[in-house]
Amino acid sequence: MRVLRLLSRTKLYWGLALIFLIGMLSSPVTSKGNNIFLSYGNLLDVLRQVSITGLIATGMTGVILTAGIDLSVGSVMAICSVVCAMLLTMPGWTPSAMMGVPAFALVAMIVAVALAQFTIHNLARSTISNEVAPGKTVLHPKRNLALPAIVGLIAAAAALAFTLPQVESQFGVWGVLLVTPCVGLLFGAINGIIIVAGRLQPFIVTLAMMVTALGIARLTAGQNNAVLPVYTGSNATADFDVLRSLIFGIFPMPGLFFIAAALVYGAVLRFTPFGRYVYAIGGNEEAARLSGINVGRVKIVTYAISGMLAGIAAVLFVAQYRQGKPDAGAGLELDAIAAVVIGGTSLMGGRGGLAGTFCGVLIFGLLSNILQLHNINSNLQLVLKGLIIIGTVLVQERNLGELLSNLRFAAPRSVPKEPAAHHGQPSESFSRQLGGSAHDT
Amino acid sequence: MSSRPIDGDMSTGTGIHNRPLVLSCSGISKSFLGVLALRNVFFELHAGEVHALVGENGAGKSTLMKIFSGVDPDYAGTIHIDGQEIRFASVRDAEAAGVAIIHQELNLVPELTVTENIFLGREPLLAGLIVNRRKAAADARVLLNRLGIDLDPETRISTLRVGEQQLVEIAKALSVSARILIMDEPTSALSPAECRRLFTIIRQLASGGVAIIYISHRIEEVMLLADRVTVLRDGCHVITEPIGALTQEKIITAMVGRESLGTTPGSPGSGGRVVLSVRDLSLDVSTRRGWRTVLRGISFDVGEGEILGIGGLLGSGRTEILETIFGSSIGRRSGEIRLDGEAVSIASPRDARRHGLAMVTEDRKAQGLHLLATVRDNIALPSLGNIARFGLRSFASEARVAEREVKELGIRCTGIGQIAGTLSGGNQQKVVIGKWLATQPRVLLLDEPTRGIDVGAKQEIYELIFGLARGGLAIVLVSSELPELLLLADRILVVSEGWPRGVLSRDTASEEVIMKLAAPRTRTDSARAT
Repeated sequence: MRVLRLLSRTKLYWGLALIFLIGMLSSPVTSKGNNIFLSYGNLLDVLRQVSITGLIATGMTGVILTAGIDLSVGSVMAICSVVCAMLLTMPGWTPSAMMGVPAFALVAMIVAVALAQFTIHNLARSTISNEVAPGKTVLHPKRNLALPAIVGLIAAAAALAFTLPQVESQFGVWGVLLVTPCVGLLFGAINGIIIVAGRLQPFIVTLAMMVTALGIARLTAGQNNAVLPVYTGSNATADFDVLRSLIFGIFPMPGLFFIAAALVYGAVLRFTPFGRYVYAIGGNEEAARLSGINVGRVKIVTYAISGMLAGIAAVLFVAQYRQGKPDAGAGLELDAIAAVVIGGTSLMGGRGGLAGTFCGVLIFGLLSNILQLHNINSNLQLVLKGLIIIGTVLVQERNLGELLSNLRFAAPRSVPKEPAAHHGQPSESFSRQLGGSAHDT
Repeated sequence: MSSRPIDGDMSTGTGIHNRPLVLSCSGISKSFLGVLALRNVFFELHAGEVHALVGENGAGKSTLMKIFSGVDPDYAGTIHIDGQEIRFASVRDAEAAGVAIIHQELNLVPELTVTENIFLGREPLLAGLIVNRRKAAADARVLLNRLGIDLDPETRISTLRVGEQQLVEIAKALSVSARILIMDEPTSALSPAECRRLFTIIRQLASGGVAIIYISHRIEEVMLLADRVTVLRDGCHVITEPIGALTQEKIITAMVGRESLGTTPGSPGSGGRVVLSVRDLSLDVSTRRGWRTVLRGISFDVGEGEILGIGGLLGSGRTEILETIFGSSIGRRSGEIRLDGEAVSIASPRDARRHGLAMVTEDRKAQGLHLLATVRDNIALPSLGNIARFGLRSFASEARVAEREVKELGIRCTGIGQIAGTLSGGNQQKVVIGKWLATQPRVLLLDEPTRGIDVGAKQEIYELIFGLARGGLAIVLVSSELPELLLLADRILVVSEGWPRGVLSRDTASEEVIMKLAAPRTRTDSARAT
């Protein structure tokens, strides 16, 4: 019983292991008898291939946990890839520079102000004793606005000092790595602000942003530039190649970005109040609001992070494919959503997490890899992928015992309301049911 | 009133008892999760009678109606319709037997027309496939004419006034040729003129032989309209009498008259230092038809260790008072809120929490709890920001806070890791209270703190509230259960239709006085109340 429960709780990892096993056993071998699937090169390829989707899915996880959705990530990545390629290759005040430099300065300022306030706030509070006497409420210390404002202006000035010289020539690898995500972040933040301020459905708002951002990407690239090639060493700096290389010759750079992003965001979701609020909003937004949580701000931040990660993905895209183009991210949002859902995060919000998404992304990547190794027709690959998504989600959403008991009791009149298997440990299945009803009301 | 002229062939007698019995039930019992909502209830309904069903909130009226209309097939006892024992398994069964219900909240589709709503799900068809719009419209017109309702069947529901929508509901109910019509608080949203029109139609229907169960809080209406009255209290049948044998006072006594609750009042009832002071609070809510007044001129003070009760009927603005103070109501607000003598501005629950206000909401499942989260996460949620150090959660401190509340409130759970949704109602309520006590509030706003909780747990919550008051917390309590209000509150503010109707002290308050003050008045005399 206990084993079954453990199996059920860790089923995602078993699924990942299963796919890995299938890949290993079914893999074609080279003439020397080496397993191609298991070869280091192949596995690195998988990691490289999933990194872009993975970054997007990481941001998407936060949004979906709040019971939202971000359909605009593909287009945001497209515009960011255009911005990145243009900054790398074209000197002067191109549309990309005009967009990127102020965006960077603005984001630098906002982040610096927030950090300063955060530090002041916590320093002030750490002097107050932890245990507050009952009946006495300590009001939050009055916010000092002058210092954060100064810090913000300094940060903005520093950002401009860093970028303005690069505008004259071309941007270096650090330049695009800092500026491009800021553009994405602002697009994401606009999504969030419209959703919160206008009290609109995330689906509609991000759908509109998806179209709008694509249009902006095309306008930025210009009529004749369907593709902006980036040739490191000739029209761009050679050090940009770092982003497509192996670190110390063993680990692909894009994979490092994906893993780092998943780890950091995962830690934020787990160890900070912000992370708890994300889950709380997805679980019951009204209860969260009435608990005094700034629901609007938390939501805006999740969308901003989603946009920012799309921006980082765009830089990696440019490095990998040596080009930026307005149709770079077509269909990417759906891959990301599929990976998040395979990872067990509920589209209703409040349940799931980044560990699941990480597995989901890898399952997706390994699957494509296996199908490619077998030279399966690409259209058939799509069909298989679709089936796998449904299969995985089915196993994720219904726990194994439930599926089995459904099958077993299919013939008699009705399924018993509470399968006997759950009798001793009501927590999981019961809480699922509760989750359903909570969303209904 | 009981001796209205009766149709020819039945006119040998004078009372309604000579008319055929269409519905009778006996021994109806029903419990929700161990709480008995109906106990051995007895009810009879004759053809052509208007039978009023009255009782306080939670007396079991709605539960009984859900059983009659097939919404709730799970009960003990027997129901006979036309002398035949019957057990409805679904609303469809009940409809087939001629029972129709008009709920308090209207169940119309706003974007469809009157005709489409009336025939929703039963559209007349052409060749079994296509909706016969012409026939539907003609039938609807006939139906509306028969009821004397002057409405174009092609208008959209969303463009109609609430009163008109109510009439459409009646037409819809009658289109299934209902012989038993249940109306749950049909006048709660109607103007006096619309009420009169509705009453005429109800009388018309009754004289046509339809049996009507009429649920209302407004005793005056019941006196005017009903042939007989049945009173329920705490899920039990109290009396069934012809209207001629009753007076308004008798009905109210039957509704509220019960022995007082067991506990001895333990509150100091102190006139201590004023903590929360509210002046001239008002709230207007935006609707399709412009601004609607929800609250006007609400003023009160609550002292340290004092429990102020707010009494009133459903929809009187009780909850909105708390929401407006807590910054969670949506609409145009005005008035002054002072905490410890200092004027504060509270625009959101976040501001309220910062100023040391706490609110336990009415609907703990929808507004108070994260059912899928653990007890610890629920209790720590409002205090997370204060518990965290440099943006990192301290799991140890969160657990400590949660453990403390679990211990202090006596929350029965397997541990702070238990999922909140798996707790019993009373313990869930304690978790909601605990999550706010963890923020060390100065003022506690309680909205229906014992709703849906069984008797034992209620007693515990009462002890808890007294204990908190003794600890110096200023408490504002909203409750629709009058005995609870009388037991707990040091003073009671009675509101009706958003206006304050008076403040009662422990000595002057009684259920009768509260009911009288709480009864809705016609629009014109609202002004003099302040």
